[in-house]
Amino acid sequence: MTDPQDTDESPPAATRPPSTGDELTRRGARVERTAAATFLLAMAAAIGLTVVYWEGGQPQAEGILLAVVLGGIGVGIVLWAKHFMPTEEVAEDRHPMESSEEDIAAFAADFQAGGSSLQRRRVLVATAGGACAALGVALLFPVRSLGPRPGRGLKQTAFKGGNIRVVDENGRPVEPSDLPVDGFITVWPDGHTDDADASTLLIHFRSDQDFEPQAGREDWTVDDIVAYSKLCTHVGCPVGLYQAELGLLLCPCHQSTFDVMRHAEPIFGPAARSLPQLPLGLDDDGFIIATGDFSGPVGPGFWDRGR
Amino acid sequence: MSEQAPPRPARRSPEGLYTHRMARWIDGRLGAAKFARTALNKVFPDNWSFMLGELALYSFVVLVLTGIYLTFFFDASSNRVVYEGSYEPLRGVEMSQAYRSALELSFDVRAGLVMRQIHHWAALLFLAAITVHLARVFFTGAFRRPREINWIIGCTLLPLAMFNGLFGYSLLDDQLSGTGLRIVYGITLSIPLVGTWAASLLFGGEFPGPDIIQRLYVLHILLVPALIAVLIALHLAILVRHKHTQFPGPGRREDNVVGERFWPTYASKALGLFFLTSGVLAFLGGVFQINPIWAYGPFDPAEVSTASQPDWYMGWLDGALRIMPGWEIRAFGFEIPNPFFPGVLLAGVTFALLYAWPFLEARVTGDHAEHHILDRPRQRPVRTALGTATLSFYVICFLGAAADVLASTFGLSVNAILWTFRILVLAVPPIVAAVTYRLCKELSARDGLPTASQVTMRDIPRRLRRGRAA
Amino acid sequence: MRRPRLPQVLVALPLLVTAALTPAITGAGGTSSYGGSYGGPGGGPGGGPGEDELIAEGRELYETGCSSCHGPEGRGVVDEQGERGPSLDNAGEAAAYYYLSTGRMPLANSEEQPTRKDPAYGPEEIEALVAFVGTLGTGPEVPDVDAEAGDLALGGEVFRANCQACHGAAGTGGALSYGRAAPRLTSATPKQVASAVRVGPGEMPVFGPDVIDPEELNGLVRYVQYLQTPEDPGGLPIGRTGPIPEGFVAWLVGMVALLGLVAWIGTRSPVRRTRRSEP
Repeated sequence: MTDPQDTDESPPAATRPPSTGDELTRRGARVERTAAATFLLAMAAAIGLTVVYWEGGQPQAEGILLAVVLGGIGVGIVLWAKHFMPTEEVAEDRHPMESSEEDIAAFAADFQAGGSSLQRRRVLVATAGGACAALGVALLFPVRSLGPRPGRGLKQTAFKGGNIRVVDENGRPVEPSDLPVDGFITVWPDGHTDDADASTLLIHFRSDQDFEPQAGREDWTVDDIVAYSKLCTHVGCPVGLYQAELGLLLCPCHQSTFDVMRHAEPIFGPAARSLPQLPLGLDDDGFIIATGDFSGPVGPGFWDRGR
Repeated sequence: MSEQAPPRPARRSPEGLYTHRMARWIDGRLGAAKFARTALNKVFPDNWSFMLGELALYSFVVLVLTGIYLTFFFDASSNRVVYEGSYEPLRGVEMSQAYRSALELSFDVRAGLVMRQIHHWAALLFLAAITVHLARVFFTGAFRRPREINWIIGCTLLPLAMFNGLFGYSLLDDQLSGTGLRIVYGITLSIPLVGTWAASLLFGGEFPGPDIIQRLYVLHILLVPALIAVLIALHLAILVRHKHTQFPGPGRREDNVVGERFWPTYASKALGLFFLTSGVLAFLGGVFQINPIWAYGPFDPAEVSTASQPDWYMGWLDGALRIMPGWEIRAFGFEIPNPFFPGVLLAGVTFALLYAWPFLEARVTGDHAEHHILDRPRQRPVRTALGTATLSFYVICFLGAAADVLASTFGLSVNAILWTFRILVLAVPPIVAAVTYRLCKELSARDGLPTASQVTMRDIPRRLRRGRAA
Repeated sequence: MRRPRLPQVLVALPLLVTAALTPAITGAGGTSSYGGSYGGPGGGPGGGPGEDELIAEGRELYETGCSSCHGPEGRGVVDEQGERGPSLDNAGEAAAYYYLSTGRMPLANSEEQPTRKDPAYGPEEIEALVAFVGTLGTGPEVPDVDAEAGDLALGGEVFRANCQACHGAAGTGGALSYGRAAPRLTSATPKQVASAVRVGPGEMPVFGPDVIDPEELNGLVRYVQYLQTPEDPGGLPIGRTGPIPEGFVAWLVGMVALLGLVAWIGTRSPVRRTRRSEP
């Protein structure tokens, strides 16, 4: 077994590679031709790239030509390195990371000499530390400007107060006859079609679907039309999939599934709470209105949701 | 100013007089010749698996270069505008300025789309390279003393990269990434006590709010990349200080490092790999369409598409959210909502264990010595088994994120798939651990290698509690 | 170089994978499944002598091919296992047209969920059956749609608001609960799309004219047509189902290529050990 060269802190100058240096072997010549060819190919691709760009650009051509330029240069360099550069194995010493005891002691001594003031002037250390800590705390306060206090916003929507028409995304109010059996539509409070928390699903279920209202909510539907919040109670995605045959609402994000016939109770998936229900009524013109806010805070849960 | 020695006759640089004089000029101002010489002769062991970190580094460079180009065109504003550009299916549609600038970049700026795609592919590969590099470091025990600090830096780079990717693709304000932001909001809300505050401060109010794109922009192009760059620099500096680890072999000892000199060969190979990595990324960016935001449409908080997944590196988190059954903790009007457990707790435990691993292993094995010779994974059956078991856990979480796509591709019930994953995520890791352990033992026995540690799985709890003395 | 075959294979492999995947991933069909239910707002049968012949022909075809499950005069059949075939009195022409022209009906096994197949009947026979089913009760007529006249951008907005949740942003289909699925829209004709929208076949809800008006419906069918040959300026669309295929490509093409390159670079050409004479 040949020992690799041992080197000390100042290694000797790099030696020239044996034999594949100036006089090329046949193999060396072939490699040189290949490497040169890849560089030339890269050059051609670079020219091609400028032409493509000049002519208006085309993403696939740009990407492929760029890949050839970069790849060509890369292949050429690697071939050069592998075949013409020295590949001797050398060794370098390692020393333990830990400093010597003398060095550590010397450092400690120097630090102590300068730092004795830190030890003796305790009052100054304490008050200086207190001032810096106070500064740190004070500097955190501007973070408070980043957003409003959470407040009641999470627990109510623009339906609060009741007697508000539901409208579609174009602001048109909805009559029961607009929604066919097995139909569903997304609605918002009148004047609030941009409210992200107030999107609501109106679903017209079939009479054979065995709808069971929750206790106290018997008059929350109008002509077999029921309304639930569209925001999933898991992490808040819109529950956009209505399976009309089975009467299920499916959230595409994490597959929470809600039973429309039983107050949107979760029957599968990670959601742990029913979709809040919106009480419906009719106004004098026959349009569907909300007679109050949702049965609970909409969307994902949070610490004090129940308070 | 000291008088210069008379010019030395020999040692002309092969490129000619001008470079030589330039180098001397610089040396006259920095006095760097000795340092430079040491650098040139630094020895690096030459093993392919030591280049995985380089892949991550080069991907990051490509990210920065393409990213700078993109910043000249992207407009991180949530103001509403109407699109009148060249993509017909969206003409006349209302959207945010951010989304419109992304459309214009994709359709109307020459080389805009390929730059955007290279940028996005580079992000996916940045994280893939980090993951593979992390696995190499873990399974070969390269995190042991003196490299714990570098391990911690690396473990910090991983979530920084993940979050920067998430922020990056969320900037475009398309339907898919907006849905992802909604999930971020919901998970933030679920944090006990401070969740509602944290969500409000981050988003500037209730979801979606007018500020989030601007804020993500600052995070994505300035704060996080700066942190990543600084940490990478530290990571490399520490690596040079420690010298790289090496596999056992002839002439290799704990007190030396055997390999190639940095100059010229190792440096050239590294440079070559940079070009090749960029070439692969350019190829992906041109040939494979990624994140076709025009097909998703602008973000609307009341709409959503089926098959909504995050980018691959967030998949384990999304899958964990899907696999988790609908359990919550509620008492006295307070609650810890369901998303907290997979979204915050699991993620937190994952990274906590990752950070703590070198210290836990040192405590259990009682081994606090410096190590510069790497382990072959089969010689450390306990570590390797725990590593593969953990990987299998996250792979199943990843598959969970694909549940609906698996269901529709293979005509299966998505409910059945998720139930299966619920069982597998608990059952598979112990099986993988057991199989890996046996395999390691058998392979080492066959190769006649000693297994380096006498610790078995049963010893672990006791040793964790009592340390080396146990 | 004789030795490093593996790295070269690892570099070649991603290119081969790209080439092989291209036809498969630019949109192969998927399966879809349906429950079976009809419904919809009222419509009515037409009149006239030619119409009567058509209806008579339809009745004949119906009695041979459909009445075993859907019963005489479309009243439905209930046997020991439950409903073998639903009643057609609310089906309407649109439902008949949809199910027959997409080959979902006739259904060989009523346990199985209907999927798109080659239609069992020719266009004239379908016309006759449609006319016949239209006489059985109320039910929507086949909508009169004109894809050319539709506003593409409006159609896109309607699609994203109502359809993408089940069918996907690119119309590639999607999973529903308990084994059901919303089908791919790659083969749907404008009339089929419009019929499905008004009928709500299977799990699909019903979208009446007050929810999607005729102008919006025109736009919608035009947009669905567009989705069948969308613009893909970025290159290979790899399935159009979002980040999952992208992740696979990142690993199976990108990472494999990079690992192959790394293995090529990192392997040693013949190691030269220089032997220094001992001092």
